[in-house]
Amino acid sequence: MVKKESDAIIEKFRSIIENVTEYGKSLHEKGRVLAGYMCTHIPEEILYAAGIVPIRILTSHESQAMTRSYIHETYCSFSHDCAYQGLRRNYDYLDLIVTGSSCIHMGEAFNVWVRFAGFHEKSYLIQYPHIIHTKPATGFMVESFGQFKEFLQKFTGRPISDEDIEEAISIYNTNRRLLKRLWEFLRSDKPPLTGLEAATVTLASQVMDKQECNGMLEQLIKKVGTERARERSGVRLLLTGGSCDDLRIFELIENLADRSTIIFIDSCTAARYFWFEVPEGRSNKLEALAEGYVGRIPCPAKDNVPGTGEKKRFRLIKQFIEDFRPHGVIFIYQRFCSPQPMDVVGLKPLLLRLGIPFVDLELDTTIPIAQFRAQLDALVEIIKKVVP
Amino acid sequence: MAYSLKVWGSFKNYQNTCYRNYLYASKGLRVIGSTWSPLSPLKGLGNDIFLMGGEPHCASKAGTLPEEAREDIVGAEIGGLGFHSCSYLKLFIGEILRDKVGITDGTIKEGYPIPDLIWTTHLCSQHSKWYQEVSRRLGGIPMYAIDMVGGGAAEKDVKIVNYVSDQIEAGIDWLERVTGRDFSDELFVKAVRNEIKVLVLWGNICALNMHSPAPLDERRLIALFPPAIVDRTTDESVKLYESLLKEVQEMVKTGQSVTPDQRYRIVYFGIAHTYGHPEMARILRDAGAEIVASVYTFGTCGNFRGIVNGKWTWEPIDPHWVDGLDLSTRRKAIMELVKIVLGWPTWQGVRSYWAIEEMAKAMVREYKADGLLLAPSRGCETDFRNGYIALQRIFRKEIPTVEYDSDQVDVRKMDLPGAKRKTELLVQLMEARKKGNAR
Repeated sequence: MVKKESDAIIEKFRSIIENVTEYGKSLHEKGRVLAGYMCTHIPEEILYAAGIVPIRILTSHESQAMTRSYIHETYCSFSHDCAYQGLRRNYDYLDLIVTGSSCIHMGEAFNVWVRFAGFHEKSYLIQYPHIIHTKPATGFMVESFGQFKEFLQKFTGRPISDEDIEEAISIYNTNRRLLKRLWEFLRSDKPPLTGLEAATVTLASQVMDKQECNGMLEQLIKKVGTERARERSGVRLLLTGGSCDDLRIFELIENLADRSTIIFIDSCTAARYFWFEVPEGRSNKLEALAEGYVGRIPCPAKDNVPGTGEKKRFRLIKQFIEDFRPHGVIFIYQRFCSPQPMDVVGLKPLLLRLGIPFVDLELDTTIPIAQFRAQLDALVEIIKKVVP
Repeated sequence: MAYSLKVWGSFKNYQNTCYRNYLYASKGLRVIGSTWSPLSPLKGLGNDIFLMGGEPHCASKAGTLPEEAREDIVGAEIGGLGFHSCSYLKLFIGEILRDKVGITDGTIKEGYPIPDLIWTTHLCSQHSKWYQEVSRRLGGIPMYAIDMVGGGAAEKDVKIVNYVSDQIEAGIDWLERVTGRDFSDELFVKAVRNEIKVLVLWGNICALNMHSPAPLDERRLIALFPPAIVDRTTDESVKLYESLLKEVQEMVKTGQSVTPDQRYRIVYFGIAHTYGHPEMARILRDAGAEIVASVYTFGTCGNFRGIVNGKWTWEPIDPHWVDGLDLSTRRKAIMELVKIVLGWPTWQGVRSYWAIEEMAKAMVREYKADGLLLAPSRGCETDFRNGYIALQRIFRKEIPTVEYDSDQVDVRKMDLPGAKRKTELLVQLMEARKKGNAR
């Protein structure tokens, strides 16, 4: 049987995300300057405008004890695993490591790279507000982004013009629109792709040169829309929580006893990464970037509307539930993460009011497949009302 | 002979009165939030503002009413909060769920006193989420959280000072809107000067522990700094700390101490767990070892000179400096307040590993430590949990250093027998070092 073109493109995305080192090194060999980033609270556009390819530091899910001598055991496994990548020198080909101040756990992973993994002289921490829905926060971001731009100009020895930033904004916005279109296929009752496939592509986009990624995405969207058969999605599941780059979990969710499909993932490794745009054509490029990044689906660590204490993300989740019509919700978060479970406590009553069943999956470095399968099967059974 | 502090009763009385006023206020405004926040803006609303801050309330409740505190924590877990969440947060929410509140004089009041508003800060990943959850559970209490950003020498970063000041200015507008009251700059400025004065005075009191014998021990320090946290904006609080400073200065002059048998001086990094576990303090006391300096008791609500020429110092700030501060406009007063609050040592290290290490090196040096005790709290992100590992690397070849996990109030998270053994080990290591037998 001739392989469909869309399958081949998705396989290529999967190969990139499973071989990030190989992909990064190939870019380096072509003379590209590469910057690793640890959290999505960084304006990648400024790096790109400086001629640098941002590559997100993702994890290897190897059972290891090395990082226990560097980070306290009560930090989440994602931060441990990211720190491990540095200590194992898996990203030694990077020219720079960058992060924005976000949760304390990822901040410590960054510190490990800076102090113990040889990145002391080639690192930058962007000061980023912890409460983003305020006017002063936007001003603060503009100043921080300006300092970051200055640092990069010195680092690369070349100026970054407004035109460079505008072009980068346009490339990144294109990428966001394409990823959004890909996920919007999953709104359908008979989607032409799976949630696993969409998650794979989304993860790969975070380590890729965006122009190359955009070319592949355009082809994929064209082919997915025309050459693929549409199958019923079965039980539709929405995932919400923290960073999760372990594709085996998504594979597990979509291979239960009953047919189920992931139709949306609200996490910083999926929709929170791209579900926003930066205004184009503005005279003040840094202000445009700040405005765009404030408009993201907020990370729970930064979500607090002054005056009411409201969580803006809850409003958006309700909207995603309306748009994507899940039958069930999976809360997926790292063990020891502080902000995610705090939101889960508030989200559960909301789902109960909507009559949507849910389950918690607490992530660690490796996955307890049998335990998760039992939890997920139970969720699906409840949804299908097998259990009275 | 052990010295008995004359001001002790006044301190306890002040703390109890603040809490009782909150519990039984029939008029005025009840405000909750992290008292790890700039408090003076609230006082611009009038003289009838009653505060109950999260951390000091939870710490003192756990010390005064340990059984109740445990039930609060478990109650919060039954209400959906995770085992690994902040223990103070859980204790606080547990009281709301159990609909009763306990305070330092032993009173347990049935019926949770509903706050009129929440005024708080955000620094760690849970700090303001705590009060979002409180607001939600209580049906939507108006809430304003100030992003403190943090990091080493943040008080000297103009960008950060302006950012936090802008938020407070906007916060004052919000306070007027939400309470319907006019904001008095006169009351505000008075409160700012008092707040800064108390913080500086506490720094001066702590710095006297550089002397030998150290006049105060950790358990006394833990008990004496809460009034500064509970409400440090009043004339009464300034008078309290002025009288304490005078008394401790006199103790130093006459060579007196609350614990005169001090063979070993310990520097301590950790939240004050010896308060909930007096048996730990007893092991040290029996060996003549005293904690003479700790970042938590010194720096949660106290100010020092901090980073000077790139190096940290625990030298105090002259209290007269406060009298000369130019607070002639609202903006100037806000900015001075922001600089002092951002300068708190506890906040310096939350997002800055170099600041933690600088503070530790200076503390060991300036307080002439014989040993370093590191007790990271499993339930607190702001407790420099990462810093502890780096500190072990730095100090283990210099002075006896021992580390064990603790928790600020949740006894389930602490391996008490293991921690006791390690404390005994610390004593043995210090003895060996003093005898010149250390390898």
